[in-house]
Amino acid sequence: MVQKFLSLLLLSFGTHLAAQHATHILGFGDTANNASGDLSIQEGALRFQKTGAAQSAQINLDSIQRASLGQQDKQVGGTALAVGRAATPYGGGRVIALFSHKKYDTVTLEYLDANGGFHGAIFQLDKGKGEALKNQLVANGAHLKEAKDESK
Amino acid sequence: MKANKTATLGIAILLTFWGSQLPLPGQTSAAAQWSVQVDNIDPGDVNIEPAFIVAIYENLLVELAKEKQFKQVYRKGDRNATGPMLILKTTVQKYSPGSETKRAVTTVAGATKLNVRSQLCTPEGKVVVEQVVNGNVRFLGGNLRATHNLAHNIAGAMKRSTLPEAL
Repeated sequence: MVQKFLSLLLLSFGTHLAAQHATHILGFGDTANNASGDLSIQEGALRFQKTGAAQSAQINLDSIQRASLGQQDKQVGGTALAVGRAATPYGGGRVIALFSHKKYDTVTLEYLDANGGFHGAIFQLDKGKGEALKNQLVANGAHLKEAKDESK
Repeated sequence: MKANKTATLGIAILLTFWGSQLPLPGQTSAAAQWSVQVDNIDPGDVNIEPAFIVAIYENLLVELAKEKQFKQVYRKGDRNATGPMLILKTTVQKYSPGSETKRAVTTVAGATKLNVRSQLCTPEGKVVVEQVVNGNVRFLGGNLRATHNLAHNIAGAMKRSTLPEAL
């Protein structure tokens, strides 16, 4: 009885993903590349809400075929810091570059649109958040195929 | 007399420039009749991250549409894909994973390099165009920028190639 109650409780928690901050690298609907926003699972759909925008993009979890995880080491600070590094005299920019990088998780989704067209989308999340997102996708009913790279 | 010479020179330059903008015989007129469907990127025997495979595919769709060489650019599996169709198949031949930090610190090391073989095929499998194309990122930008550069180079190579007349 207690076990049934606990499993029901877990399932009810599994239907929603608390919004996770993510950067959309490319490929998710009409969302602009490199847009920051929140990624959430609601009512059988994966939704990306761009920060400061009213509209959001979403895809059905059923349409997702594969989710692959990866890691990237990126320089922080964007163009502004890149220019600053370049302008720093006596090679100081190189020293700054040595310390101004951060590791991120990348989640690559492969999905089909309503016409059967194949799409790929890449999201960048904070380190350690990629695995959680993938688990949430599976828990909420996404039928993921085995990723080729993970079998190697 | 001097003004005449200047005018003649100007017209000659204009004509040369205009001529360089014209398509070569059999280049655009034939290509404009074709649509293209981008097939999934084949990683071949190369151990490459799925993010790179997906990024090459998505960037190819964008760059081919930008070039306006083909009537329509379709995704793989798109049920709306009709008419004279060529299929773009891309196989990764070489991949050197780079590092943005190495590039920023050393300038000379840490380049991300991609080398692919791209083929335009008819639905029957006949190869119409085959090109080997590179895409790298050596200085500024993240590693995935190599996929954008590669897609841009593939679209450019396809535009320069001569296509047969559509049936």
